[in-house]
This record gives sequence, structure tokens and C-alpha cells, in this order.
Amino acid sequence: MGNYFSSMFDKLWGSNKEIRILILGLDGAGKTTILYRLQIGEVVTTKPTIGFNVETLTYKNLKLNVWDLGGQTSIRPYWRCYYTDTAAVIFVVDSTDKDRMSTASKELHMMLQEEELQDSALLVFANKQDQPGALTASEVSKELNLVELKERSWSIVASSAIKGEGITEGLDWLIDVIKEEQL
Amino acid sequence: MSTRTYKKFEASDSGDIPDKMTIYQDCMNQFNESPVNSKRCRTLLSRLLRLLANGETFTESEATALFFSVSKLFQHQNDSLRQLVYLAIKELSKISQDVLMATSSIMKDVQNGSDLIKPNAIRSLTVVLDETTAFSAERLLKSAMVSKHPTISSAAIATCYNLLPVSEQTIKRFSNEAQEAIVDLKYFPQDPSNTEFYPNSTFITQYHALGLIYELKKNDKMALLKLVNQFAGNNSIKSQIAKVQLVKIVSELVNKDPQLFTQFQPLFNNWLGNKFESIQLETAKLITNFHATHPRLVAPQLFSIAIATLQNLLSVPRVATRFSALRILNRLSMVTPDHVAVCNPELESLINDSNRNISTYAITILLKTGTAKNISSLISTITKFIHEVSDDFKIIIIDAVRTLSLNFPQEWKSILNFLIDVLKNGEGGFKFKNNIVEAIIDVVAFVPQSKEMALENLCDFIEDCEFNEILVRVLHLLGKEGPTASNPSLYVRHIYNRVVLENSIIRSASVIALSKFAISKNDTSLRESIVSLLKRIANDKDDEVRDRATIALKFIDTSTANEPTSSLADELIHPTSAYDLASLESKLSSYLSENNDSFKTPFDVTNIRKYSDDELKAINLKRKQEQLQKGTFENGMESSPKMAKKSDNKYGKRIDSDTYSSPNIDEQQQELLDTKYSDELLSMAEFQNFGKLVNSSKIVALTEPEAEFVVRGIKHIFKDHVVFQFNITNTLTDVALDNVVVSCNPEEPEESQLQELFIIPIERLLPSAEASCYIAYSKTEDVVTESFLNTITFTTKELDPQTNEPFEADEGFQDEYEIDTLYLSTGDYIKSSFIGNFTATFDELPNEEVAVYNIQESITLQEVVDKLITSTSCLPLENTQFVHSDTNSHILKLFGKSALNGSKVALVIKLIKSSKGIALKAQGKAENATLCSDLVNNLI
Ligand SMILES: Nc1nc2c(ncn2[C@@H]2O[C@H](COP(=O)(O)OP(=O)(O)O)[C@@H](O)[C@H]2O)c(=O)[nH]1
Ligand SMILES: [Mg+2]
Repeated sequence: MGNYFSSMFDKLWGSNKEIRILILGLDGAGKTTILYRLQIGEVVTTKPTIGFNVETLTYKNLKLNVWDLGGQTSIRPYWRCYYTDTAAVIFVVDSTDKDRMSTASKELHMMLQEEELQDSALLVFANKQDQPGALTASEVSKELNLVELKERSWSIVASSAIKGEGITEGLDWLIDVIKEEQL
Repeated sequence: MSTRTYKKFEASDSGDIPDKMTIYQDCMNQFNESPVNSKRCRTLLSRLLRLLANGETFTESEATALFFSVSKLFQHQNDSLRQLVYLAIKELSKISQDVLMATSSIMKDVQNGSDLIKPNAIRSLTVVLDETTAFSAERLLKSAMVSKHPTISSAAIATCYNLLPVSEQTIKRFSNEAQEAIVDLKYFPQDPSNTEFYPNSTFITQYHALGLIYELKKNDKMALLKLVNQFAGNNSIKSQIAKVQLVKIVSELVNKDPQLFTQFQPLFNNWLGNKFESIQLETAKLITNFHATHPRLVAPQLFSIAIATLQNLLSVPRVATRFSALRILNRLSMVTPDHVAVCNPELESLINDSNRNISTYAITILLKTGTAKNISSLISTITKFIHEVSDDFKIIIIDAVRTLSLNFPQEWKSILNFLIDVLKNGEGGFKFKNNIVEAIIDVVAFVPQSKEMALENLCDFIEDCEFNEILVRVLHLLGKEGPTASNPSLYVRHIYNRVVLENSIIRSASVIALSKFAISKNDTSLRESIVSLLKRIANDKDDEVRDRATIALKFIDTSTANEPTSSLADELIHPTSAYDLASLESKLSSYLSENNDSFKTPFDVTNIRKYSDDELKAINLKRKQEQLQKGTFENGMESSPKMAKKSDNKYGKRIDSDTYSSPNIDEQQQELLDTKYSDELLSMAEFQNFGKLVNSSKIVALTEPEAEFVVRGIKHIFKDHVVFQFNITNTLTDVALDNVVVSCNPEEPEESQLQELFIIPIERLLPSAEASCYIAYSKTEDVVTESFLNTITFTTKELDPQTNEPFEADEGFQDEYEIDTLYLSTGDYIKSSFIGNFTATFDELPNEEVAVYNIQESITLQEVVDKLITSTSCLPLENTQFVHSDTNSHILKLFGKSALNGSKVALVIKLIKSSKGIALKAQGKAENATLCSDLVNNLI
């Protein structure tokens, strides 16, 4: 009986459902830093991620299941093993790494073509804005050819994981989109 | 090891094995769900593990899919679920290549996980890390290793141990932490409610740490010595198995450097009195093993204490201890049976031990320690006993009895009676019966007096034998030995019965056996009756039988027409010599592979070594005796400390391949090498006109095995020539030797009867390579004996590590290097040979020579005997190669034949040991007077 009520209650408030979010991007873009910034609100020292990190966090009453997948060339082929049931993808770009913009763009578009991700929202962080010479969000957007994306909710936000700027703005947008789509 | 190993033993009563594909589907569905239901996932994982434990496997793609779905469970923080996740990852890692995807998540648990899952996380690092990622876990592993929590520390140590072959570079940096983990006594975190039931520590971490340190330092003698000195004397090591490990390390040290043994004697005394049985056992094993190879270095008193310790352990309550003590004694009983005899009262009471393993072992030891006096009573004991034990034990007993027949040829009657009894009345399968028949064949081969009795009984046996293979062997034996027996027609009748009653395989074998009687026995009426039998068989309905009968008739026909002994038929049906099989095989396979004229040139057999019947028997006897001895060293390997047998041998191999073959290669390999060297020699153009290779000596070491350039010599004897072969190994890593020449100078140049013809130098000897330099001489007399002083000369050139070629401009250094003297002795002209009745032959030989020697060195009788056997190249007979350790005198009987002309030579050597040294009286008898005096007068 008690169980029945609590699950009714959960459904009404949507807090039992976990929302799966993937953080993807090339190695060194700042994905792991962003994940822990979100979870513990601090900058942690990171090592290249061999595999993935997964954390569950509550944000605005929602339970988020955030997967930060390693970005090295050897790990990228495994991204697709984690696409199922993904509500949103956060794609992190190192805005200072101009040489690899095209690589990032290629990986992004390849990923978005996957059947399983057709309904997922996309948030791009143009990260490392604190660094001199970083491309602006609109420059990154151009490099990544984001305008081409049709039939998908997407947004690009300038961020600095180190300073903690732009992260919550980006996430707020994402949550709004997800809530909208799920209602 | 793998959970798979106990697959077969999980009986069906443990419930139904779940269906593989159902489990697979359930896993894929459940694990991908969000949120995760941890309880259900745990149940599902345990079923998956059960499946794998039952030996079920998945394809690589299924396993990979499973792995990825399991990896999704990392999102759920539940310790008991996580533990199962780790178990599953470890199992799946054996099939799937992709488990590295779990690395980051595992490392996070190693860092922040609870004490419950940390050890699991640490251990699973073994399966995900590789050479490129191992370093990233270094800091984590180091801090886990020094953790106060014994389980965490042990997990880290075990992981490092297993990662060593994967990433030596990283793990090398762990020795300080490992050292600290030995010293540090770690206790489980205290839970006041539990202290009554749980020990507060097992100190197992010490064992693990010692194992790791050993792996890290095993090639560094000084470091190992330091380790032993630090821990052996005091009580700082609490773990029992860590202590055993320490004993094993010492064992390895003393075996590598025997001189160290003496300094450890007080320690051994101490260990033999240790409160743990396992330590007493391990120490006794060390001492007795070491004694087998270095008897002189073991103080007799220490040795007796070791035996007394084992004797004590024979009557302790713990079965495993009794069993281990028996195993050690069993090995000992093969080399020094007289030492083990003191344990006979205990052994006799163990015959009735309720554990059959123990009673069987006790009996086999008693059989080996038996003396001529108690053999027959022992045999009557086992005659009753053998019918009660299982087949496996029966075979062990039969083997022990078989060795008896080699050791006590004079007891052949009771031995043979026993074998015949079990053959006829014993219940057992093929292997059992086959072993008995083999034992009987041995008795016939080595104790000629036993022939008729054995053959007659075998005839009875084949009247009712269900095993084809055994029947064929017996028929072969009858054909071989029957014709020379006193009443051949008896066997002919039995053989012919087989033709009438049995299947075609046996009929074919019978045909051959029959024809042997017709050809080798010069008895016309017997021949005629066999011919008429064969004519009848020539109408057999089976092709093979018919063909054999027809060809046999043809042979008999030609052999009566010509001089019987020289005929082709005789040679085929009744060969007097056999090819050296190893050499024949290698020649044949190179004939096949080098064939470039579609086999137009026929295969040439003339250069393949041949053995006469007696030589072959000598070789077999030697091999059998060595097998007996080998038992002693079978566990030599085992005694080197290892935490666990690893399935992956990569590491071991890598280390081994750097060190070239060790000086004490085992006998079988030695023989193969002999064949290889003589084949190489005979295939070289330079030696083509030397004719047939008469004999090749054993390989003799001419330098210390650890010298920079290791040289070993072989003497090849031809009719009019002698060739010295020097095998030189360059153990340096960065230098090549060019134009390597051995200059050989007779010690007394004026009197030398050898004329140097030519030298074949080694053009270039690269690092860790072996090559041969040859020197050829012509000799004027049959037997020339001389000694040679030798120097090797060469030019050293440093190698460019890039190209592995000498540097362009390097002209190199001339260098030379003196090596030991090479003796060409009478023994080099002799081949060991077997004779069934030594005393009779000895008395019959016409020429006699006697010489007396005094040896003043301090040397044991056994060592003298070993040297005599090697230097004369003769075969020790009547088991006289073993000296009983409690006597001061010994008689050695040796027999051989001249390699040049096959004339017989026999020696009886009496040795007496006194405070002044060893006195030796050699009496030689031979067909050839010169050979006799040469041999007797140059024994030492
Ligand atoms: N200056 C700057 N450095 C950053 C920022 N985000 C991450 N980094 C650094 O970039 C490196 C890689 O970050 P990491 O999170 O491991 O990247 P990942 O490979 O995408 O997970 C680390 O040294 C971070 O400290 C940022 O916004 N600004
Ligand atoms: Mg990362």
C-alpha cells in the first residue's frame, strides 16, 4: 500500500525518473571538469578519462544521470554503447583548440546521425572562455556548423569550467527543453 | 584460478543451470533500465556468474554487449551490487577485449570507494590495465599497498604481482612499499561484537608482499640474501605460508650457489624444529633435495635430523602432512634408499592407513627401500593388498615393482611371480594390464634367466586377453625371444592358435612372429611346419594378413636358398640393429622439406646412427635408471617460490630466453643435442671423406658456466681421424666476436700421435648466440689418448645497437682467453653396452689387467663412482652405480664395447674409503688386450 502511494507520488512529481545525459567531446575539452563542477561545485584535478565517469545528481528537483565519456581517439568508438535512452547530449569544445575544431565538428555530426539520439537535445559548451585567444560562442558555432541542425533543440553557451561560468546557464536551458519535451 | 576449473564437479543436484540466452536477454534489459533495480540486478549477475562457472561461454560480441550493459551499473552506488559487477567484469574480461572502458570508474572506486568494495576494485585493475595505462594507477596502488587494512593492502600487492608481466617498468617502482608491507603487521578493523569468532588478522599480507618482493628481486642474489637475513632469524613474520615462502627462497638461493648452504645450516636446524608442520616439511624437502645434488655440502647430522623430522611427521594426525612427508621420502627412496630405511617401522604401519593414497605411497617406498632380504616378504604383502585398491594405485604399485626388477635382478623369480599373478588374477583396465606386460617385458630384457618362465606365462595370458594392443606386443616379444628359447615349438603352437581364433590385426602380428621362428632358427622340421602353416594363412580373407603371409613365405624361401645370416630377409624379419630414431626422424623430415627433384634421389640411410641390440638395451636401461633418479628432481621446479601458477607465461619466457640453455640440461635433451651435433658434423663437406662416425663423446664443459664466453667441447672419433668440436656461446650483449679460433696444443708435443689437418673457425659470433669451431686431426693408431691445452683467440667488435652490426670503422681488439684442458681418453673409444649375466661374461673374457689407485682429495665414494662411469663411458650394471651412504667400500661393475670394433670390455672396480683417502683397485677383462690395459691404466 505504502509503496503504491509513494510511486504515485513520484510519478506526479517526476522525481523517480532519472534523466540520462551524456557529456561528449574531444579529449581535454573539459568534460570531466564540468561533470564534477556540477556534482560537487568544485574544480577537481583530472586525468585523461580511460572509459567513463558516471554520477547521479539532483538538479532543480530532477534526478540526472550524467555520463562523462572519455574523448581520446581510442575511446570514441565506444560512445555509441551508451546512447540508448539519452535525453540530452552535452558536447564540450575546447574553444582555444582551433586546430581540432574540424575534428570536433566531424565527431559531433557523426554522433547526431545515430538513430538512438534523434530525440535528444543538444547543448554545446564553448569551454575555456577564460583563456586568451578563445573563440567566441558564435565562432565555435560556425566552426561546428550548428546552423545545419534541423529538427533538434540545440543551444551553444560560452563557458569556463574552471571559473564556473556559463555552466548553470547552459544546464538551465537543457532542463527546460527536457521538461518541455517530456510533458 | 578461473571459476571454470570446478565446472565438472558441480553435480546436477545443485539445481538446473539457467538457460544461457534467457540470462543474456534479461541482463541486456535489466542493466540498461533506469533507474537500476539493484536487488534484481544482483540476482541476475549471480546467475550469469553461475553460468560462466559452469563452463558456458559467450561469443566475443555477446560478451562485449554484456560487458557494456554491466558497465552501466556503475551508476548505482550499492556496495553489494558493485562487488558482483567486479566479479562479472573479471569473468567477461577473458572473452571481451573492451573491458578497458571500466578503467576510470574502477579507479574512482579505488580512491573513494568503501573498504568493502575497494579490494574488489583494486583486484579488477589487473584485467583492465595494460602497458600504456598501468602507470596511471601507480599512485593509487601505492597508497592502497601501504593501507592499514590487510585486505586492501593484499589486493594491491596481488594486483601488482599480476601486473608485473604487463608493465614491469611501473611495478619495479613498488619495492619500498612492498618491503613496508612485509614489516607492517596489519589487523582487521575491530568490530567489538565479532572478536570472539574472527581472528584479528591472518597476516596473509606478509605472504603476498614477500611474493611480490621475490618477483622483483629474483635475479638479484644479494637482495634476496638481505631479505632472508632480515626475516629468517627473528619472529617478525607471523604468517605461516610467508615463512614457507622464505624457506623456498633459501632453497633457490642454495641451489643457485651451493656454497651458501653451510652458512644457513643453523637456520635449517631452527626451522626443522619450528612449530608449524609445513615449515618442517619444506625445510626437510630443501635439505634432502639439496643432498641429492650436493651430498658433500650437507652435514650428515643435519641430514639425519631432516630424516628424523620426516619420520616424526609420518605419525601426526593431519593427513596432508603425512602425505607430504611420504612424498618427500618417496623421492628420497629412489636415490638413497638406505637413508629412508630408518622409517620402515612407521611406513609399515601406514600400509593400513585408512587413506589409500597414503597406504599406496607407503608401500611403494617400502618396495624401493627394500633390501634383498625383505623383498619377497614385501611382495607377499602387496600381493594381498593390490587387489583392494583402485586402478590408479595399482599402476603406481606395478611401477614400483618394475623398478625392483632393475634394482634386484637376482630377485626376478618372486617379482615375476607377482607380476604374473596380478596379470592373470587382477581386475583392471587396459592401462593396468599394459603396465604389467611392460614390466614383464623389462624383466625379460634385463634378466635373461627369466625369459622362459615369462614367455610361457604370457602365452597363457594371451589365450584369454581382450586388448589388441597388448596381444600385439606379446606376439612381438614371442617372435623376438621365442626362437632362441629351449622349446620354440611350444610358442609356435600358441601363436598359431591366435591365427585361428583372433581378428585380423592379431592375425597379422602372428604371421610376423611365426616367420621369425622359421628364419632365425636353423631347424628344418620347424621351418617346414611353419611354412605349411603360413601357406594355409596365405588364403586368409584379410588382405593384410594374406600379404604378410605371402611375403613371409618368400623371405623364408630366399633365406634357405642363400647363406641364412647375410640375407636381406633375415635383416628385415630379424634385425640385429636399429636406427637412432631421433636422427632418422630429423633426416627424414629434412629430406621431405628439401626435396627439389620430386624424390628422384632416394633417401640415404647410411649416415644415420645405428645401435646394436645390446647398445639399445644399454640406452634403455640408462634412461630407465635416470627416470628413477629424476623423480628426485621432479619437484625442483615446484620449489622455486611462486604465489600462484599463472596461466600467462609471457613473463617467465621473456626472462628465460635471455639466459641460454643452462649447463645441466636433462638427459633426454642431451641425447637430442648429441644427435644434432653429429648430424651437423656429418653434413659438412670438409668431413665427407672421413668415413663413418665411430663415436661422439659427451659434451664437456671447458669453462665455468657463468664465464663471458662459455665453451663446451665434444670429441668425435672416426676410424683414422679425430675432430674436436668447440661450442662457444657469447654471453655479452653488445659485442660480436669475429674469426673465433680455438688453438689446441698437445701437452706433450713431441709425443703427439695426432696430426692437425685443418681448423674451421667461426666467422662471427653475435651476442647470446652459440656456434661451433672444429679442429680435425688424422691419427695413426686405433686408440690415441692425449691431453690438449686450449686457447680461444678472436677479435671483439662493438655492435651498433641500431643495426646490430659492428661499427663501420671499428677494427676491433685482438683478444685471447684460456680454457680448460681437453682430454682425449680411452673412454672416448668405448660405447656403453648391456649384458644380462655380468659375472659369467667377466670370467670368460680372455685378457686381464689390474691397476691400483690412491685418491687423496676429499671426495665421496659416490662422486668417484660417477666420475668413473663418465670417464669409461661404460654402463654400470647390477645397480652398482649407487653407493650406500653408510658404507666405506663399494664395488662398481662396468661393461662396454669398443666403438671401433665392438670388442667387449668389462671392469670390476673395488673402492675403499679411509682417513687417508680412497683406494681403488680396478680389474679389467677384455677381448682386446690393448684396450683393456689402456682403459684400466688411464682410469683417473
Ligand atoms: N583554462 C581552463 N582549463 C580548463 C577548463 N576546463 C577544463 N580545463 C582543463 O583542461 C584539462 C582537461 O580537462 P578534463 O576535464 O580532464 O577534460 P576531458 O578530457 O574533456 O575530460 C584539465 O587540465 C582542466 O583543468 C576551462 O574552462 N578553462
Ligand atoms: Mg575526462
